Formats: sequence, structure tokens, C-alpha cells
Amino acid sequence: MVVPRHVACVMDGNGRWAAQRSLPRTAGHEAAEAAVMDVIEAARSAGVAWLSLYAFSTENWRRPSAEVDILMRLVRRAIRKHAPVLHARGIRCRFLGMTDPRIPAPLVQDITDLMTLTRDNRRMTLTVAFDHGGRRDIVEAARSLIRSATPAEQVTEASFAAHLPCPDTPDVDLVIRTSGEQRISNFMLWQVAYAEWVFPEVLWPDFRATHFWECLDTYLRRQRRFGDVRRPTTMTGEGLR
Amino acid sequence: MSQTTTPPADVDVFGPGSLLRRLVNEARWGLAVARATLLEAAHPQIGAALMENSTFLTHPWRRLRNTTMSSRRLLDPDPRVRDREAARLNRLHAHMSGVDAQGRPYDATDPEARAWVVATLFESTVTMCRLSGDALDAEAMRRLYDEHRTLLALIDGSSDRLPETLPQFWAYYDDVVEHRLENNEAVGVILYRLFANVPAPPVLRAHPALWTAGRAVAGPVAAAITIASLPEAFSRRVALPDLPGARTLMQTTYLGAALATRYLPESWTRVEFVMGLLDPSPGGADPWEAVRRRAGKAAALARLLTPAGDDDQVTRSADRFFAEVLDQTGDGCLRWPDLAAMAREIATRLDLGEQEEDRLFQAYATWWRELQAALDGDGDGRVTRAEYAAGAARLPGTGLIRIADVLFDVTDTDDDGKIDATEYRDLFRTTFHRDLAGSGDGYTRADFVRQFVSFMSGQQHSAAYTSLLTSG
Repeated sequence: MVVPRHVACVMDGNGRWAAQRSLPRTAGHEAAEAAVMDVIEAARSAGVAWLSLYAFSTENWRRPSAEVDILMRLVRRAIRKHAPVLHARGIRCRFLGMTDPRIPAPLVQDITDLMTLTRDNRRMTLTVAFDHGGRRDIVEAARSLIRSATPAEQVTEASFAAHLPCPDTPDVDLVIRTSGEQRISNFMLWQVAYAEWVFPEVLWPDFRATHFWECLDTYLRRQRRFGDVRRPTTMTGEGLR
Repeated sequence: MSQTTTPPADVDVFGPGSLLRRLVNEARWGLAVARATLLEAAHPQIGAALMENSTFLTHPWRRLRNTTMSSRRLLDPDPRVRDREAARLNRLHAHMSGVDAQGRPYDATDPEARAWVVATLFESTVTMCRLSGDALDAEAMRRLYDEHRTLLALIDGSSDRLPETLPQFWAYYDDVVEHRLENNEAVGVILYRLFANVPAPPVLRAHPALWTAGRAVAGPVAAAITIASLPEAFSRRVALPDLPGARTLMQTTYLGAALATRYLPESWTRVEFVMGLLDPSPGGADPWEAVRRRAGKAAALARLLTPAGDDDQVTRSADRFFAEVLDQTGDGCLRWPDLAAMAREIATRLDLGEQEEDRLFQAYATWWRELQAALDGDGDGRVTRAEYAAGAARLPGTGLIRIADVLFDVTDTDDDGKIDATEYRDLFRTTFHRDLAGSGDGYTRADFVRQFVSFMSGQQHSAAYTSLLTSG
């Protein structure tokens, strides 16, 4: 049984969860916090070394400003509330994206502090895609590559990937997108190239450790069937290239 | 030289629980070494050898590093390391002999002088422990003395020059202090030139002005601390100044060093860490980097744990909101009767039926449980103004949303999913507030809930809501 090394979650369905309860959308975001903490703990105890969460995309800025404001406040509150526990659990926290000046300065400070506090932790790396866009990362990598004046013939997949933000992040093995939506939504485009995707119907605020384990199980069964027929190795990007 | 007192070469002569080995690794032992050096220098033979041969005045930091390395090698569990170091020291000192300024012969290998070096180290270590507030007990002191005698035997081949028992040692020590020591050139040089002119440690070589400014203060302070810790008999004979406050400063320094050793992370108070700070070698791990990393992490944690700064605005308005709206009974704290009074007021105003009233009370009860769980820090069944003000930014909870939900249902009497102007007036006894009017023709459920929640958590002031809950 090989636990996927890198699991990513697209946390979808907060708005629908709230709408089903006739609550403001922000109530859904608020309820999402419990799911996030549950999944972090489940992933850590399952031995997942890399966990990525899609919290806020570059496209999410188009939402009503009141919702964005409250979302920012919720994120800040969650970071302050859970920072000591995350640190105590040995989780290294990183934020991917984070370039937009609209992110409130106090939140940027807290995020920076959380990254500073946990940077030497090694048990698990939690990457929070916040103000993230997969295409933007690739464009940034291209810019960085051009600035480094690398000759065209020397550009390989590996050398290109070294210019991506957080270049030590391994390929994603499993993406979980909740609420039954089946889209990529510009999420870590480079890293999900060989990922397995599962689409549980449950909305993110209701997503719990048991759902996470079910997803891991689905991944393992898929992989095993695949291995029986075609190849016995693990289904990492390396194996398929 | 007699080898009889030297134990078999394959044994760790200091033992695994060696006190000396532990102390040598602590940075505060530097205080004891500085003091011992001064007492050594006052010995005629050693003072002369120091003045004629030693480079400690021009290269004190190198000398400090060498002394530290040397003493650690002498205490090494491996006998080969110890013997090599003892042989090296003997070779080094064999070249140091001659005649001092007054024409007296001196010899750095003189057994009596060497015994005195070890004696001052022992006495200074005992004094360090005494001044640090953790004086050694009789057993520990005896062990420490035995270890020093072993040290002397390592260098000199014999420990005979130091008395066998502690009582004899103290008599010997007092005798030397009172009769042998003198106020020689070396003492003056250490006290008034070394401390005042210490060249910058490697880490500060690039900032000479900073070092000079710091030294102007630190030099006299270091001298005062060292002088204040010396035996009274010696200070009297040598006529050292006894400055007011110097003893307090000295005791504070020793105590501070002891507390640092006890409470700071062990790696910070070890001698190689401090030496590394003074002289960051390019090859090895830079302890400054470690300090920066740790300090950065500690500061980050502190910032994350302190209440969020930009919530101040919320805190202030929440405070006012507490007094005006929440504290219905006016006793300065929030209890169930306050919330029940709010529910009662709304039920009365909207003339609710039994079922609706029950729903409203249930919602308030849920909110009360949440408030207690989230804000009642001391668990006394009341939420004080301070507790509410501090926690207001963490609201809203789902209880509040449920109240808004119920309120919407009972206000929306025609069940069209909107609160129109008439219904709004029934609830608030006022017309639409221009700013809160939303789309203009009424509130949807989501709008209403958001308004209510942001009002009740003290984040948005609304005259309409205030009048709803304060009038009557």
C-alpha cells in the first residue's frame, strides 16, 4: 500500500452548502475551517508528506467585495487560531501565490509569520494556494527562465520546473475536488499533469477525515488495478514520463 | 617526574559525571576564568611570564579560543587527546623562562606556579557557583577539587603541589593570597589596559566605531565586575578600588549568567556557541544564522499569539455595542437574562405566536451557549464586557445566524422571501435606512442575515437595530 506522496484538495462547495441552509455564503466559508483542520490531521496521520489546499484563486477576486473581505478575515482568524497547533504537529506551512496587493497587510504579515514559524518543520508540508493561478505560475517561471538567459536548447521539463514557485514541491499524485464539480480551475497546472482525480459529491464544509480516507482508498484501488494490467510501479509522474 | 599519581591511561580519569567537564562547556565559566586569570597574574612567577611572553594583550580573542580548546582537550575522555594536549602545553611553557623587570628569575614550568594556576581555577569555579546562587555542597566541592588535582597531575605529572584535602587547600589558598600575591604590572595591564583596549572580536571587526563605543562602557564594567568578585584580602593588599554598586553589578552578572544557563536552551549557553558568535568561522555553521532563525520564529509566534491589532476598531465599537444593546439588565455583564430580554422584546414587538416565540428563544439559547463557549474565559456563566470586547471579532457564530433566520421568518409575514418596507417598519418601527436599504425594495434573506450578524457582532453600527434592542 503506497500512500500518495502529494495530495491536493480543491475545496469546492462552500457557497452551495450555505445556500442549502439559507445562510450567507460567508457562513459556508466559516464552516470550511473545520473541514480544513480535519483534513490536515487526517493527511498527516495517514503519512501524506505533501498536502496542498486550493483556498483562493486569482479568479476569486471577482466575487462581491463584502464576501472577499469576510473571507480574508476568516483566513486571518483561522491562521492565528491554528498556528500554534500546526507548528506543534510539525507541519511546515507555505502559501502559493500571494502576490495581489488587495490582500490586507495584516493578513500578509500573519501568513509570513506562519511560514517563518513553521519553516523548519518536516513532518508534512502544507501548501495553501492563496491568490493562486496555475497559468500565472507558469508565466512567472517562463519570465524567470528568460531572465536567467538560459539557452533555448537547454530548457527541459526539469530545468523549467526549477523556476516555478516552491520548486521543491513534488508532482501531485491525487487531487480531491469536492462537491462533484469536475474542472481543473487553473489549479497547480504544472504539478497536476499526472495526478489522479477523485470527485466526491460531498460539499467541502461537510468533508471530514472519513471522506479523505475514502479518497485515499479510491486512489489506491485505482492504482492497483492499473498496476496489474500495465505496470507494477507507483503512479508518480516519474513513472509515466 | 613521578607517574604514581597518574591513573591508568585507558581510563576516563574525570569520570562520565565530571563536574569540571560540564562547567567548561558552559559559557558562564568565562567569568570564572577571567577572575582566575587575574589571580594567576598576581603571582610573581606567572605575572612575569605573562608580561614577557604572552600575546594575550594583543590577541585576547585568539587566546580565549586557545584556552578554551586546550582545557576541553585536557578534559577529553580519550586519554590520547589528553596526553597530547598536556605534552603540547609543556613544550609551549618550556620556552618561557627568564628574568623579570626586577631581576627575579621566572619559569613557566615551575610546579608551584602551575599548582597556583589550577588552584585559582578551582577557587574561581567555587566562587562562581556561590555567586550564582547555587553553591556547591560539600560532596560536589570535594569532587570538583579532586578533578582539579587530576588536571594538575595531567599537566605536571603529579598533583603533590596541591594539598590533599579541602581544609588544607583553603589554608594554602589563603596563605598564597595574603603572602605571595603582589600588585604587579600584569595585574594592572589586565584590569586597565586589556579590558579598556580589547580589540574587536572578529564578528565586529567591520564595525570599529560600534565596538569602540560599546567598549567604552563594557570595558570599565567588566573590570568592575572582576574586581568586585576578588577575595577581599587580595583587593585590600593590592588597593583595588571598591566602587559603589560594583558588588551588586557583579552579583547580578553572576546570577544572570546562572539563570541564563538554567533557562535558556542549552545550546545557547554553551561555550562554542558564544565563541561562534564572537568569531563566526566561514566554514562551520554560523551561529548567528541559528540565532536569527530562532529569533525570527519566536517573534513570529509572539505576533501570532498577540491579539490582532486591526481588531481594535472592532473592539472599541463592540464595547459600546455591549453597553447599548447587549447588556439589557445593565449589570455590566452578559447573562442569559440579557438575551432572554432581547428575545422577549422582539417577541412582544412582533406579537409572535407561541411556536414562533419558542423558535426565537431556542435560537437565542443556542447563541448563548456559543457565547459562553467562545467568550466566557473564566467559566463563571457570565460574559463580561471585557470578554465580549476581546472576542467580538471572532463572532459571528451559527447561533447568531439562526436568530437572524428566525427573525427573518417571523418578520416576513407574507412569506415572499423578502422583508418589505411594511414588515421592516413592524420590526424596527422605522422606515428603511438609506444605507441599509440594499436593492431598495426590501431585504432578501441573505441580506438580512448578513446585516443582522454584522450588527450583532458589533462590526457595523445601525441605528435601526440599536433602537430595536434598546427602546422599551
